[in-house]
Amino acid sequence: MSSLHSGDLEEFVPTSQIELSRFITENAIATQKQIFPAGGRTSLSVCCPASLSGTQICTSQLNKVIDYPVRDMTITVEAGMRIDQLNEIISAEGQRLPIDVPQSNRATLGGVIATNTSGPKRFSYGTIRDYVIGISAIDGKGNLFKSGGRVVKNVAGYDLKKMLVGSLGTLAVISQVSLNLRPKPESMCMVWFAFDSYVNVEQALNAMITSGTRPTAVEYCNSKAARQIAAESRLDLPSEHNVICISYEGPSNVVKWQANHIIEEWNEFSPLSSQIIESDHATRLYNVFTEYQTSSDDPVTLKAVVLPSQMMKFVESATQLNIAIQAHAADGIVFGHLPDSASSLEDVKQILSQLKKSIDHKTGYLTVYQCESEWSELLPLFCSPPPGWSLMKQLKNALDPDQLLNSKRFTELVET
Amino acid sequence: MVEQTNQLMNQAPASLEELESGSASFSALVQQLTLIVGEAGILFDADELLVYECDGYIVDKTAPDIVVFPTTTAQISTIVKLCNQFNVPFLARGAGTSLSGGCLPIGGGVMIVLTKMKNILEINLRDRYAVVEPGMVNLHLTNALKGTGYHYAPDPSSQGACTIGGNIATNSGGPHTLKYGVTTNHLLGLEAVLPDGSIIELGGPTAEVPGYDLHGLYVGNEGTFGICTKAIVRLTRDPESHRTMLAIFQTIAEATRAISEIIAAGIIPSALEMMDQGIIQAVEEAFHFGFPLDAGAVLLIEVDGLEIALDEEVRQILEICNSCNVRDIQRADTPEERLLIWKSRKQAFGAIGRLSPSYCTQDGVVPRTRLPEILEFIEETSNRYGLRIVNVFHAGDGNVHPILLFDERDKEQIQKVMEASEAILEKCLELGGSVTGEHGIGVEKINFMSRIFNQIDLATMETVRHIFNPRQICSRDKVLPNHQTDGSSKITQSHPTRRAPH
Repeated sequence: MSSLHSGDLEEFVPTSQIELSRFITENAIATQKQIFPAGGRTSLSVCCPASLSGTQICTSQLNKVIDYPVRDMTITVEAGMRIDQLNEIISAEGQRLPIDVPQSNRATLGGVIATNTSGPKRFSYGTIRDYVIGISAIDGKGNLFKSGGRVVKNVAGYDLKKMLVGSLGTLAVISQVSLNLRPKPESMCMVWFAFDSYVNVEQALNAMITSGTRPTAVEYCNSKAARQIAAESRLDLPSEHNVICISYEGPSNVVKWQANHIIEEWNEFSPLSSQIIESDHATRLYNVFTEYQTSSDDPVTLKAVVLPSQMMKFVESATQLNIAIQAHAADGIVFGHLPDSASSLEDVKQILSQLKKSIDHKTGYLTVYQCESEWSELLPLFCSPPPGWSLMKQLKNALDPDQLLNSKRFTELVET
Repeated sequence: MVEQTNQLMNQAPASLEELESGSASFSALVQQLTLIVGEAGILFDADELLVYECDGYIVDKTAPDIVVFPTTTAQISTIVKLCNQFNVPFLARGAGTSLSGGCLPIGGGVMIVLTKMKNILEINLRDRYAVVEPGMVNLHLTNALKGTGYHYAPDPSSQGACTIGGNIATNSGGPHTLKYGVTTNHLLGLEAVLPDGSIIELGGPTAEVPGYDLHGLYVGNEGTFGICTKAIVRLTRDPESHRTMLAIFQTIAEATRAISEIIAAGIIPSALEMMDQGIIQAVEEAFHFGFPLDAGAVLLIEVDGLEIALDEEVRQILEICNSCNVRDIQRADTPEERLLIWKSRKQAFGAIGRLSPSYCTQDGVVPRTRLPEILEFIEETSNRYGLRIVNVFHAGDGNVHPILLFDERDKEQIQKVMEASEAILEKCLELGGSVTGEHGIGVEKINFMSRIFNQIDLATMETVRHIFNPRQICSRDKVLPNHQTDGSSKITQSHPTRRAPH
């Protein structure tokens, strides 16, 4: 996805959070330019307005390890650290941050928090909010504040860490993060099921709640997405129908037992086929599932959050509109890549309006996950105000009273 | 629009009225509150209010002027609006099990007790959530879920009494947090009455909502962001099986090394509880479990998960314990044996009652690998002050609960308990930890806040509180120190005494 933006844009590359704090303080006092925090620039197309005039804060030099007490399984790093770099450091010690991040060679930790990025494993491991134990950030006035600490259990003071999750650089620039880590599992495998009807898919997903197995991820894709995922993974997988792909992690005997067990359990839902994918092939396929939400060249990618029990209704509507669907099915998180035929803004708005009808507005949300840069100002990121929107606006005003942190985009978040 | 951070630090909260029993405004408020909750839902006689003068933290006591027992969100909203109209402080209370004074009604006013709002509104297994009222007792939710294959994971030791609303206020933990996380990891959304009486919803039953994570921000506010009136909690799959072991070590250092190596091996036990020599001796004196009196530490280790996985995990744990010079390991192979092992842990506090007329349970956190240092320091502190201190705690999280034994009739001992507690918590900070892992700041540890956080951190927290609670009319003087507080000020409580185990 292109991250090209127009406008009069300067770049500032801080080498320490103190330097960054000083810069933002001076900006607030003197020039009052708009500030756009940028990590790996993987989400700028929707998270920033198309026309950037001001200063882009490039966090690439804020990439140091501050403290890594390996045996405590916590790490404190600067927020500009790229996810691959972080993974390399902790993987050498048999540890990991169990959050799936697309484009992890570019994406940064600060960006993952600001965009609340997650992937298939969220079903069993949660999201980034569950792993941030401490944070430092700089508000619109240049105040460098922290919350939490470096221990895994700590209830001293308000949990300002959470407020920054999903904040899209509009509240404060995240500068340093302490994380709780987990041990790496011994092995992983995936089981690929093909189903010919939505009814069978729904029955299988419903049965998952009492399955004798404990999956780490439950992914659904419609045939359009399945074909792309199968092709990208370079594996010979049946992809002409609905697919549910389940992953298991742990000791290899336990993983194998679960893979065989779920095939037995799901026999009654008449899958057209089932196939166990192991070792390197499983890793490759898993990575494709992780990347797929951002890998499309299609003009717009949507994200819907619905109750898992209502997901297939949304999937059916979206499939009818020729949208390629991947879903973290047990969590009701759906990504939809719009077809090339949606070539105009009007087409996209039409599709959004149709899809909104298949979402229960009390318990579901539709958001624009990625789009062509030139459309980003014209499409609201959130298609309806999220709960607590008035408090969000107050928080924005309190932490960034001069409206300097990515503020244009904040005002565009919700359709008015 | 909210004023900028630094200005807020210099603002004093608006002055609130002190209710005088028998005054015209007192009578008018009682009359109007009675219209809302009925005569059976209000208390204002001094004798009846005594029960509400403190929670599990009994050092400071002050009674509310009026206690009300609402049954609906709408009632709470009206009550809160009335409090604003009369300009009197108010606060919520669940079961009153806070160990840090979270429910202390500073300045009197109206206490809104939520124990009548204890219903389960919805259980949805397909979408893995339940909606409950805030006065729901934690354990009652899990009991209601029995047989479904699901449970509510946060299980504070007081779960038989404490309420979900209170758990949200303090971000409660419990013995199983190492594997399953604390309250904030299991709260999907909530409804709350804000301190101005308006009703808001944050989060929701879906896995996430767009925008800032405000329900996450709300958790752990210790009652200062308004009153939670409905909670949407995530339900967790029951483990298929358990294995429970008791490992006896010669030294705390060896036991701590075993903990780190078990976790490094990729095993996250569902519980990792440690008892030190002092508590082993107390338990042995009281209940004769057969623990060697010269053992340095006993670890209760429990793993859970799929039956097929557990024997191998147990084998690895035994191997690790052996490599860390374990003296003896007892395994529970039947549910009855498992109960017996847990009994030794759960009866530890009962054993303390035989040792001392009073005790004070502290709550500190250190990085897991620093446990030997903090425990050594606690022992030194015990010797320096001539106080017996024993330890039984959540070792996997580095969350220590030193229990200081004393006689509250002896003023000199009380002073020593205060000084020793402060020294231990200071040491936790020095070792890179925190002064509270699960009990909260409340009023008890408010003076520590300016040692943990700098002025900008505190000002930012105050900015956030200001959005929810601009007049500090709701649960005033909690969590954040007053602006005038000198960072070096000492704990001033006058009367530490027996506190509920945790």
